[in-house]
Formats: sequence, structure tokens, C-alpha cells
Amino acid sequence: MPKFLTSINAISWYFLFPVIFIHFFVVAFPSILSLLLCLTDWNGFGRINYVGLENFQELFRDRVFKKAVKHNIIWTVMFLTIPVIVALVIAYLLTGIKRGQLFYRLVYFFPYILASIVNCLIWRYIFHPRHGLGGWFENQGIDFLAKSPFAMKETALYAVAWVDMWHFWGFLVIIYLTGMYQVDDSLYEAADIEGATKFQKFRYITLPMIRPIFVLSLIIIIIWSVPTFDYVYILTMGGPAYSSEVVANHLYSQAFQRMNVGYASTIGVMMFFYVGIIVGFFAILRRMGWEV
Amino acid sequence: MNKILNIFLTFILTAFFATSTFAATKVVWWMESSADTDPTVQEMMCDAFNAEQDEVELECVFKEDINDTIRPALLSGSGPDMFDTPGASYIKIYQDAGLVKSMQEYADQYGWQDKLLGWAYNSGVFDGELYSIPKNYETMIYFYNKTLFEENGWSTPNTLEEVESLAAKIKAKGMNVYAYGSAGWQPTHEHLVGNYFNTYAGPENVYKALIGEKKWTDPEFVEAIELLRKHMVDEGYWSGNLETYYSLDWDDFNNEFATRGSAMLMIGTWGFNVTATNFGESSDDWDWNPLPILNSQAGSAPNYQLATGGTMSINSSSKNADGAAKVIDWILSDKARALKVTGSLGYGAWLLPLKYTDADFDPNIDPRQKRFLTEFAEASDSGNYGYTTWTFYPNDPGVHIWKDMEVVWAGDITPLEFMEESQRLWDQARADDALVPVGKR
Repeated sequence: MPKFLTSINAISWYFLFPVIFIHFFVVAFPSILSLLLCLTDWNGFGRINYVGLENFQELFRDRVFKKAVKHNIIWTVMFLTIPVIVALVIAYLLTGIKRGQLFYRLVYFFPYILASIVNCLIWRYIFHPRHGLGGWFENQGIDFLAKSPFAMKETALYAVAWVDMWHFWGFLVIIYLTGMYQVDDSLYEAADIEGATKFQKFRYITLPMIRPIFVLSLIIIIIWSVPTFDYVYILTMGGPAYSSEVVANHLYSQAFQRMNVGYASTIGVMMFFYVGIIVGFFAILRRMGWEV
Repeated sequence: MNKILNIFLTFILTAFFATSTFAATKVVWWMESSADTDPTVQEMMCDAFNAEQDEVELECVFKEDINDTIRPALLSGSGPDMFDTPGASYIKIYQDAGLVKSMQEYADQYGWQDKLLGWAYNSGVFDGELYSIPKNYETMIYFYNKTLFEENGWSTPNTLEEVESLAAKIKAKGMNVYAYGSAGWQPTHEHLVGNYFNTYAGPENVYKALIGEKKWTDPEFVEAIELLRKHMVDEGYWSGNLETYYSLDWDDFNNEFATRGSAMLMIGTWGFNVTATNFGESSDDWDWNPLPILNSQAGSAPNYQLATGGTMSINSSSKNADGAAKVIDWILSDKARALKVTGSLGYGAWLLPLKYTDADFDPNIDPRQKRFLTEFAEASDSGNYGYTTWTFYPNDPGVHIWKDMEVVWAGDITPLEFMEESQRLWDQARADDALVPVGKR
């Protein structure tokens, strides 16, 4: 047997081969196919006709797509602020708890391990106009939450985001907490000697020391916000009147309801480029010396 | 030793060929799953078929979201011998892609056209050949709380004026006019749009628009949408207000109707079963009526919108197509049996569009259910029928109807803009040859 076939390098490739093989057929090949499909009018079944850049032109005329992009941006901004701030505060407070910390960690993390459908049903029930909070207030003679926030176009997007954030910030608490435990205690001791307040210790020691994990969490949030789908689909299906429509939901509707698979691929390609830009942006930051 | 081997081999080969020759042809059928109906269908259709003959062995496989499941199976050239689809618009796509087998030779051989109601048979004919048969037919009607109506001296409405006058009386009593909601099933909106098209613009105009002789932007359609907007948004006919309509699901609104939260329930005939069940637990009585006619141009007699709820077809790559055709013929051949099956399912599923006569009905059938079956057959036979969006619309215009109706209700676009977009999508579907068949009136 030739020697290169039994070299350490070759053996590592043997182990990698199954993963590469599966990845190629399950991820890479369909992705490449999707890139090609965006130039066609395929309906998912029949003949595939080449239409050039027609789908892209249509995309820029598509008012629902524009709305969905705007909603994705709002969604991302919300997730970059509310759950991050809440998780940072909770994680920092938890580091000061010596007894029963595991209980609190479990409480915060619990929604994260629940299936999205369960979380959604809980909140749909809470906001149900007949037998949720609205119904209860009505029985008390108070006109509050009489209409579900999922059903009002002014609030639907924020209500869905709230449910998703409620499920998500427990995850952030755990990763921030992990980072905070790795900060050297001697730094806090030195700060105590200098008379630093709790906030000053958080601002000048904790935050800079957990920066790699913190930035990683921001990257995760930005990237995960792009294909966000399940909570929107289950709670509002993008309604009312597209007020909570996000890009992935629009893609699903085009591909599986309207059978415009070619056009849906175009939306997918745009999402791919967007994620590529984000990853590229952080790669540049890293080259500039940021600990990303 | 050789002799023993020869005997052994002969025995094995004989057994093999005998098994191959005399074994029943196996036909696999993927059906849309429904936890409530699957056991009955298995027992009364699949097991009963297997027990009655030994030529074909039928295996029924119940699948969630059949359209998502069948698509990759058909595309890969495999899949079952027979399969369900949600409706004719899907069949059109499968037919274009050559994934569904023409059943014309079987239809001619077994005389299926004579067995099925004309419109139902035609709904599966594409380019002159039969590709699908409806498993179920349905139409839109309204149920009402008969006891409540009698107590208050209310009459069931037949015209727009009567509807609006009755609605005011019902609201004055602190109840909602109609129970309904779209939570969990956004396409619910299309039921209402179809109702207003057929009872305001009228079936004749809808038919002309379907075949391209009229524009969807014509005043009668725009006015129908405006009237629906007024009744939904300004008047809050459905569950009190638009937001509550968006929040109530199937159980919520059925419960609301049965407990006097609403006086009426405008729904498809799939609502018979749940209405009978819910009212069975109440002291109130219920009844039903065809939809009121909201405009004189929709005619004077009630019209029933035609709808198929699911279809059955044969896979083009099936090696047992003859066996599959035998299964279909067995299903279509006995009207009494068909009525017994659908009766066991509360007439909400497997209501095959066969030419029933009085003699076919079980004497114990609920007279209200029987009245529907006979009146629908008479009305559709005499041309008093309309068209549902989910049976006669191609995919893109069909989705537009229920997705963008919310935009009209939200006040973001006008009814005219809504119908202009509808017309654009219809033009596109017509250019793409994506229309579904509409039998001549």
C-alpha cells in the first residue's frame, strides 16, 4: 500500500470523509442548487425555465419582502438590547448568590429547553381574549388586554419577539455566567481595596473580561435573527396584515404556499449574502485586533 | 445427495413462483392523517376492502401534512401507488410535472363519470383526462341557534337588509352575530371572501372571472370586498371584532356558538359534526340554512359553493396502477356503504360526491344532515352553485386572497387595490397555464 495512504494526514481525512460526504449532499449541494434556482421560475415540480435576474427585480418591487426586511432589522435590534441587558444583569447578580444559585439558573434556563410550540401555546393562552388575562380582567370590570397583542398589527411583532426573548435570555444568562466565573477574583479584590462600587466593578472589570464571550453572543444573535421563523409562524403566521412577517416566513410562504420555489430561492440567496456580510464584518474586526 | 438437493431446489422454486403468481397485488395509499377519523377509515374502508376480496391488498398509511410528505416522494420517482392531495390546484402542478397518472382509461372502463356528480368529476379533468377524484365535498352554509331565534322571535335572514337588521338585534342582546376565528388556520379568511363573492357578486360573475371573461376588478367584486370589510371591521360581525376573530381557534368559536356567545356560525359543512356534538351537551337546538343572498345580481335562489376537500390520485410511477384503480372503483361502487362511512365520521369527511338518492340514506340519519345532502344535490344539479377559492383558484391567487385580505382589513390597501393585485396574479397564472378546470355552467 502506498505510504501516503497510511500517513497521519490521510487517516485524518478518512475520519473526516463521512462528515464531508454528508455535508456536501445535505448542505452544500442544495445550497449551490438554491443559488442556481434563484435564476429560474421553478414551481418545485415541473420544468425549470431560466429567467435571468427577473426574480431579483421582483424582489426589489416586493412590498412584503421590504416589510419583512424591516421587521428583521427591528427584531435584531430588539434581541441585541433587551435580552442582552437582562441576561447581563441577571448573570452578574447570580454571581453574588452563593446558595440556591443552581435553582435560579434552572429557572432562567428552563424556557430555553422547552419546544417553541410549548412556549407559544403558553403565551397564546396568557394573551387569549376569552380565557387568558384579558378575560380575567374583563371579569373584574377592567378593560385591559381585551385584545390579544398577537392579533393587533401595532403590537404583533413585538409580542412575538417578547415570547422568543423570554425563551432566549436564559441561554445568554448561562453563557455570560460562564464567562464571569472565569474572571480572576484578584481583580475584584484589588477593586474592593480601591473602593470601587458594584457598578464600577461590572463596568471596568467584568464587562471587559467577558468581551470575547459577549461579542460572540452578539454575533450569534445577529446571525440567528436572520432565519428567525418558528415563533412567528406558530403565533401569527406573519399577520395580521404582514405586521409580523419576517424574511424566513416570506420565503416559506413563497416556496410552500405559493409554489414559487425559484423566487423563494432568491430570498434565500439574499439571506445568505446578508449573513456573509455579517461574518465578514466580524472577521475584519478580528483582523483589526478585536478579541472576537 | 444430488437428488435431495434437486428436490429441495424444486420445492423452493415452486414455492417462489406460486407466491409470486397468486399473491395479491399490494397497493399502498398515503392518506391525509386526522386523529379523529383515521381509525374509522382504516376499519371501514381499508380493512373492509381487504376482507371483501383477495386480488388486491390495500395498505393505508396516514400521513401528517400530506402535501409536504408526498412532494419529495413523487419527485424522487418513488412514493405510494395512491395518494391524497389537498385539492385540484395541486393536481394541476403534479400533472404538469408528469407525477400523476391519467385515470381516463379506468374512468371509461368502470364508468366513474356516471357515478360521480358532474361538477365533482370535472374538477379532476385536466386536458381532457381524469387525474383526480374528490374524496370529500363541502360547501359554505350557516348554522344558527334555533332555540335562541325562537325565544327572541328572530327570523333567519335571506337578504342583506335582513342580515343587517338581525345583526343589530343580536348585538343589542350582547351577543356576537357570527362565531368564527382564524387562529391556527389563516386561510379561514378565504371562506368569508368566497361567501361574499358568491352571494354579492353572484356565481355567474365569479364563473366569468374564473374563465377570464370578466375582470376581478369589476365593481361587483370590489363592492363585495368592501361589504366584507364593513361587516368585519366596522360592524364586528365575527366574534365581536377583528382582533378577537384573529385570536379564536376552532374549539374557541365552536364553543362560543354552542354557549350563546354568538347566534350564528358561518362555516363549511365540515361544521355539522362539531355543531351536533356541542349542542348535544346543551339544552338549545340548532339548525342550518344556505347563505343569505346579499345582492340581487347574485340571483334569488340560494347557491351552494362547490368545494372538494381532498382528492385521490394514482402515482405515475406506480407499478400497481390497475390495483389502485380497483380500490377506487370499490370505493365509488356502493353509495350506501359510502354514506355509512361518512355518517360514522359525522359527514365531515369522506363525503364522496356520488349521485345519492333517498333510498341510499340510513333511516336514522339526522334530518338536518339529510336535508343538506338532498338540497345540495338538487341545487347543484339545477345550476344553483357557486365556487370556493380553495377548489377553483390556482395557488398564487388563492394564497393572495387569504394573506392579503388582512391588509384590506388593516386599512393598508383599498378593496380595489386588493382586487387589482388579484387580477395581476390571475393574469400571471393564466399565462403560465396554471389554471384549474372549471366545468361549463
